Amino acid sequence: MEQPVTVAIIEDHPVVAEGVASWIRSDPGQRVRLVQTAGDLTGLRAVSRPSADVVILDLELSGELVTAQIPGLVAAGYRVVAFSGHSDPAIVMETLDNGAHAYVSKEEGRDYLVKAVLAAAADRPYVTRSQARAMLADQRPARPALSEQERQALLLWFQGMSKASVGRRMSISENTVRQYISRARAKYAATGRTAPSKDALLARAIEDGVIKPGEIVPYKSFARVAADRPSLDAPGR
Amino acid sequence: MTAVQPTAMMSGRYQRAFTIAVIFLVAGWHLAGAGGQLLRDRSAYGSFAFQGAMWLVMALAITAGSVLILRGAPGWRPAWAVAVIALAASTAAAAASPAGQMLAVNWAWGSAGWTGVLVLLRRRFAELAWFLAAEALATLGVQVWDGLHRTDLAGFLAVLAWSTGAQVAVAAGVRALDVAAGQAAAAAQSEHAARERAATAETIRAARHARWLALQESAVPLVAELAAGTADPGHAQVRVRCAVQAARLRRLLAEGDEVPGSLVHELYASADVAERRGVAVEIETAGPLPQVPAPARRVITDAAIAILTAAHSQARITLAAVAAGIAVSFVADTGAVVRLPAAGEGVAIEQQQDDGMLWAEARWNSR
Repeated sequence: MEQPVTVAIIEDHPVVAEGVASWIRSDPGQRVRLVQTAGDLTGLRAVSRPSADVVILDLELSGELVTAQIPGLVAAGYRVVAFSGHSDPAIVMETLDNGAHAYVSKEEGRDYLVKAVLAAAADRPYVTRSQARAMLADQRPARPALSEQERQALLLWFQGMSKASVGRRMSISENTVRQYISRARAKYAATGRTAPSKDALLARAIEDGVIKPGEIVPYKSFARVAADRPSLDAPGR
Repeated sequence: MTAVQPTAMMSGRYQRAFTIAVIFLVAGWHLAGAGGQLLRDRSAYGSFAFQGAMWLVMALAITAGSVLILRGAPGWRPAWAVAVIALAASTAAAAASPAGQMLAVNWAWGSAGWTGVLVLLRRRFAELAWFLAAEALATLGVQVWDGLHRTDLAGFLAVLAWSTGAQVAVAAGVRALDVAAGQAAAAAQSEHAARERAATAETIRAARHARWLALQESAVPLVAELAAGTADPGHAQVRVRCAVQAARLRRLLAEGDEVPGSLVHELYASADVAERRGVAVEIETAGPLPQVPAPARRVITDAAIAILTAAHSQARITLAAVAAGIAVSFVADTGAVVRLPAAGEGVAIEQQQDDGMLWAEARWNSR
């Protein structure tokens, strides 16, 4: 059996941290193990090696937005899943651009947080409805070009359909729906500032056949992704 | 309230003023400058009648050019037709001038250049440059044909420098003013938009305050009952009450200044009614939403009411900007297909039923 994914919760409200812990405990497969809970980031900064595979990060700690701390966490080898009450698309986009693997709003936590943590641990994308919303609302000039099919899959998922229903609506398989959504997410990983977590997401997406290197060329050369790939197998990642 | 001046209209008014100024300049030059010289040197020309005819042709070209430019930026065909007529008239006038004195008695070079400035004013700058170069070359060609002396060349360069220089300067100045007018109009427009946003924010704030007051009557007693132990969280009915109040609180928090526009607020109102029936309603928007005209809004809100009435316990409403319109969707546990209002007013409605969950989408297209 595979080792459970280790996770740290950074959350300044103990009752929310307790709730997240209970979602992790109630996962039938016990696929995630909670190793650390803290109210701020100082504990994570102090250690030289990442103390958990994934950090569940509340974006607002003691009244301050901590999106700017994400690049530091990512550089230290953590995979970040943002968990926040802020569903403003601009904040979601900034979170992803700074290198977070996924964004989960507090309303979505029960349904998606454990799934998002598992996906992040494997460097696979997980797109929540609030994240799909931010991608659909994205008006920035540097946004990636999504195909008609990718947009439609994102739109129906945002609207609240299950992925199986999205598939029936679009006359494609549920698996293809996941492919479209993952590909849209991978295109985002290829834009904006560089981060090792984005490279890892892209490399895995290429490995999984979700996206072809040619489809991300305008924003980032494949050579760069390929050059970063060996580090995936290095210890500590 | 004053009517909104669209940015384009405001900067268009400034542009028209600049255009009229240029027309006065060009017409004034042709009448007083070129016309004066023509009369003063009338005895020097081989045929004064021919020079007068060319002057009239040029005057007609300037009139045609003024009409064109006042009607808006002319296309390349009419603009260049006028420019070529001016070029031909000035070359003919130069060629008919007495050899050796051509530059001294030439009235046409300046007029032709100004006519070019007039008709090519709002076209690419390169076109005007090409025209002025062609005009200068044609005049130089006539001079070479007559036999060019060193003193003639110096005169040619002097006239070229001051006349073409002035023409380029005016064209560049108008261009700069156009840009400045565009910026000024955009600034005024954004100021207006800011005022409108502030008014919307105030409306939203008032609505939020009203909803907060309503919470005092619904959510606060529920919390009090839970705290006192008189309401049992294990009881299904209490859980439904909690779900409804939680949805209402979330909407209260999510309702921001980013979502002005009456369609959203009409949907909020429909959601309020459903919540009183015990249905938890979420409303989310994606992207800057277009304004939907009232008849189309009515079709969409009728669909919302039909679906929310049929929902058993939960409904999600989303509004997303799509190409040329808006997609309003509903996902609700209606258990069966819902009779929806007929499509119309540019709104297309579709629905799909999956395991007791209804998905319906009303898509309004502005085209």
